Amino acid sequence: MIRVEHVMGMPIVVEVRDEPGSATLDRVFDWFRFVDETFSTFKETSEISRLNRGELSLEDAHPDVRHVLGRCEELREATRGYFDARATGDGALDPSGLVKGWSVDRAAALLEDAGSREYAVNAGGDMIVRGGTWRIGIQHPREQGKVAKIVEASELAIATSGEYERGHHVLDPHTGRAPEGVLSVTVTGPELGTADAYATAAFAMGEDGPAWTARLPRGYEAMTILADGRVLSTGAFPAV
Amino acid sequence: MRKSAIVLLTVTALAVPNVEAYAATKAQKTAPKKKVVTVTQSFTGVPGSADRWGEVQVTIVVKKTTTTIVKTKKKTVTRRISSVSVPVYPNHTSRSIFINQQALPYLVQETLQAQGANIDMVSGATYTSQGFETSLQSAVLKEKAA
Repeated sequence: MIRVEHVMGMPIVVEVRDEPGSATLDRVFDWFRFVDETFSTFKETSEISRLNRGELSLEDAHPDVRHVLGRCEELREATRGYFDARATGDGALDPSGLVKGWSVDRAAALLEDAGSREYAVNAGGDMIVRGGTWRIGIQHPREQGKVAKIVEASELAIATSGEYERGHHVLDPHTGRAPEGVLSVTVTGPELGTADAYATAAFAMGEDGPAWTARLPRGYEAMTILADGRVLSTGAFPAV
Repeated sequence: MRKSAIVLLTVTALAVPNVEAYAATKAQKTAPKKKVVTVTQSFTGVPGSADRWGEVQVTIVVKKTTTTIVKTKKKTVTRRISSVSVPVYPNHTSRSIFINQQALPYLVQETLQAQGANIDMVSGATYTSQGFETSLQSAVLKEKAA
């Protein structure tokens, strides 16, 4: 059973290969709509917008909001400041870089709770797959419609950051400029929110990114495509 | 001598239907009776956003061939995208028209070439082709679910 909906400003694809239940898919998409209402920086009524306007205090915010903002802070420290929800230029908080992946992680947990063991949740090209075999193409950074590599996995979160990344260009928070020498960074691992933040940070580091990805925590692997065409992968990156 | 030759020939002649029968049995073993059903149908994806340029929508025509082995009822399905069209694409500025005149035929061509790669999903997507990929992917998924 497959469903595609536009939520959070992007297409979200949920494919369940076992025990398809449309009530379960309803719950998953209800969850994404809740996340959009709560976290969107484009919606004036979201808790993030209200926090940014000073109309809501952190103590009164939804537990999920407190959790995500806390995790953003941990990831900022873990990435030497290259993933920074506060680097918006105007002092506002923008946890969008974590919210997408984190909400997919939670959606996967909903599917698990409903008994599914073979599914994919794909939010705008960053995804979690589980069960059976999934072949995931990694977008070629220079040639549209082509894949650069293929990853094959049965249980994986995978996120790709690149200069083409949707909605915004990834900037180095320390300089405010776009990184040079790197075209895209793909990170795989157990959690999508974390993998996505690592991919964003490694991309923002530019040519220093690959060396940093070599020291990612256990379970996380990375592949960096450099502007000169070199592809640098960590030891256990699951490319076919 | 002659008689035996006739006998031999007769044997040979008698053997012909036997060979045919054997061939028929063998043919049944290697190529069992099949029922082949071909359905050609078009599927339109959800509109994909090409960011500030607007929306892209892709329609694919898929030729689906279902081969059923009559005896075992075992089914094999092959799918082939036979054409890709883009009924909705950003065209509100001369620049977006230019981009799409350049990019869309290329993307269509790439789609037809890439289907051999047998990929379930794509991680990351280019800025301009994002909407195209999105819409294409949903059209392909709709076809699979049909």
